[in-house]
Amino acid sequence: MEHASVIFLWIAYLLYAGAFAVFVVQFLTKSPTLTRVGLVVAAAGLVFHTLAIICRGFSAGHVPFVGAYESLVMVAWSIALVWHVLESFTKMRAVGLYVLPVVLILLTVAWVEYKPPVQLVPALRSDIVILHVIVMLTAIGCLYVAGGAGIIYLIEEALLRRRKAGGVLGRLPSLGALEKLIYHATLLGLPFLTAGMLAGIIRAETFNVPHWWVDPMVLLSLFAWALYAVLLWGRMRADWVGSRIAWLAITGLVVLLFIRFAAVPYLSGFHTYGG
Amino acid sequence: MLVVVTGISHKTASLDLRERLVLSEEDALRVAQELLESEAACEAVSLSTCNRTELYTYASDSLAARQAAIAVLARHSGADVHELESSLYSYSGDGAIAHLFRVTSSLDSMVVGEAQIVAQMKSAYQLACEGGCTSVVFNRLFRHALEVGKRVRTETAIGERPVSVSSAAVELALQVFGKLNDHTVLIVGAGETSELTATHLKAHGIKNILVTNRTFGAAEELAQRVGGKAVVFEELEDHLAASDIVISSTSAPHYVITRERVERSLKHRRHRPIFFIDIAVPRDLDPEINRVRNAYLYDIDDLQHVVEQNRGEREKEAHHAERIVEEELRSVNDWLRSLEVVPTIATLRDTMEQIRRAELERLGGKLADLTDEQRAQVDMLTASIVNKILHMPTVKMKEVAGSQECYLYVDAVRTLFDLSGNGSSPDGAATGDAATDAVGAAPDPPGATVHHTGTDSA
Repeated sequence: MEHASVIFLWIAYLLYAGAFAVFVVQFLTKSPTLTRVGLVVAAAGLVFHTLAIICRGFSAGHVPFVGAYESLVMVAWSIALVWHVLESFTKMRAVGLYVLPVVLILLTVAWVEYKPPVQLVPALRSDIVILHVIVMLTAIGCLYVAGGAGIIYLIEEALLRRRKAGGVLGRLPSLGALEKLIYHATLLGLPFLTAGMLAGIIRAETFNVPHWWVDPMVLLSLFAWALYAVLLWGRMRADWVGSRIAWLAITGLVVLLFIRFAAVPYLSGFHTYGG
Repeated sequence: MLVVVTGISHKTASLDLRERLVLSEEDALRVAQELLESEAACEAVSLSTCNRTELYTYASDSLAARQAAIAVLARHSGADVHELESSLYSYSGDGAIAHLFRVTSSLDSMVVGEAQIVAQMKSAYQLACEGGCTSVVFNRLFRHALEVGKRVRTETAIGERPVSVSSAAVELALQVFGKLNDHTVLIVGAGETSELTATHLKAHGIKNILVTNRTFGAAEELAQRVGGKAVVFEELEDHLAASDIVISSTSAPHYVITRERVERSLKHRRHRPIFFIDIAVPRDLDPEINRVRNAYLYDIDDLQHVVEQNRGEREKEAHHAERIVEEELRSVNDWLRSLEVVPTIATLRDTMEQIRRAELERLGGKLADLTDEQRAQVDMLTASIVNKILHMPTVKMKEVAGSQECYLYVDAVRTLFDLSGNGSSPDGAATGDAATDAVGAAPDPPGATVHHTGTDSA
């Protein structure tokens, strides 16, 4: 089972890389057929990615979210999934070019940190923990996509202002479309983040985890939550248009990345087995 | 036999001469027919656009075809033959076909990548086709040329980037807003470029157009032309707040819209972005506007700059297009070569010989009882039957080989005997193509393209 999982993940990795190459060529040639090809190849990658996770789940005997390898594979998967869902709604074809590298990087890091599956420690053997993890991963997928869109937004805006947009005109999504993507991705991500945090709190309360509210990861998550809430509030009031939204989405992304790559491994007290 | 093109274009002739050589549809057809009547050519197509007038002929003598073309053009335009000679170009063979492909791909156009030429070429060909001036070669060649034009368009980005100020402005607006359906454009001052830009914007789905001018009458007039609404100049600031795109082209000597004004308007519209296009000289819009958040300002120089960049990009794409033209030229050449007599006779003989051998082999069992001598006799007998049958067609084909119409015989033979897998062409794919098309002329296969009919168009 573990072998199958690794092979599936390799296939997924190659398909994502192939899709990325297609998107690069598409960016250069602007061929609309290539966008469709890229999306189909990436979707095939997502299918194999899903199979890899399922197989890993069977070989580990639990939902695979333990340790760096499993959790990174999961995050990459949720980003790819969220992207596909948003893509099918917004029909914003060019985003693959920016989402796929993130997925590829996450998977590469995952390979480096590969470890064979381990048994769940007793503390994690609980339905609410699994719910917490899955919901959180979905939220992270959405919010990563929002942050990525924010980065493209700011780059494109700067290019437009400095009259250097020549090379990207008609190739990048429009500012309006990007802003909508940030908004929709956050709108989708924040409820999941909220639900995930609630699940975490319930679990901490029921098991009497000591001082869970002063854990750096919890505090940072609360901060991120507030950022995204402010973003949505500002955007809904419609006064905050464009770059401010983009900056908030990027700040949120930085906080999330900090949580994942600094707080979890080095600071957190009880989240460490999240890897 | 070869393709010959003779003509003038914006690259070789003055506007004055080009004007005189513009042919109406009737004239164009008559020119082609006259060329056929002069017997210098056996197929002819005449193309006339505002930038070029060209006569394509399929002829055995390229020099005679050229002279005939010049004579016909001189007659129709009233221009002097010597005057024509000096601004004329003429290509034959590969050069002519390459030229045809380059023209259809808009590589030879004044604005490289413009889209009109394909339609113009198509109607020129259709006209000649319906007038009975084209046949086997041009029916295929021009359809191929139109395909090349299409291929260049889809496989390169040659026509992607706008190369006029007004369409560049629209492209920028699209980059800011995405879809333009629900947006409002405000035109300040009634200039020609702003009208053009408004028309472009309308083509991209914009429905609300506001027009304002110091003299209300002029605003009303322009509003009527572009299907918009005229508004009073004194209320500019209110309308500014309602507009997503502002195009300004007044002749005012000072800034019409200042930074403060824009900031106030943006507050009113809750900071939804405004895209300003200033096409006036001296400028109407305070350059400081570009520093305001959610306001984007492009002046005429910026737009020109975008246009220049796009031009450069088109040039780059033109290189890809040239490669496509070369590739297609090769495939057409393979087919044209197959229309020559000698290889066709060889292929015909090969095919017959193959049939003969296959039949003999099929009978192998029944012939087993024969002695070696008898088998040799059967072999000789069948060979001599085939030779006898082929004798007359071979002689006749060699007879017509020098004449203008010989390729028609060749085409007929190739069609009737279905000579597809011939050895005369090195390119298997191209010959396969030629075969499918040749089969099309036979009455048998349903749905196949039939040549020689006037109504049949690409």
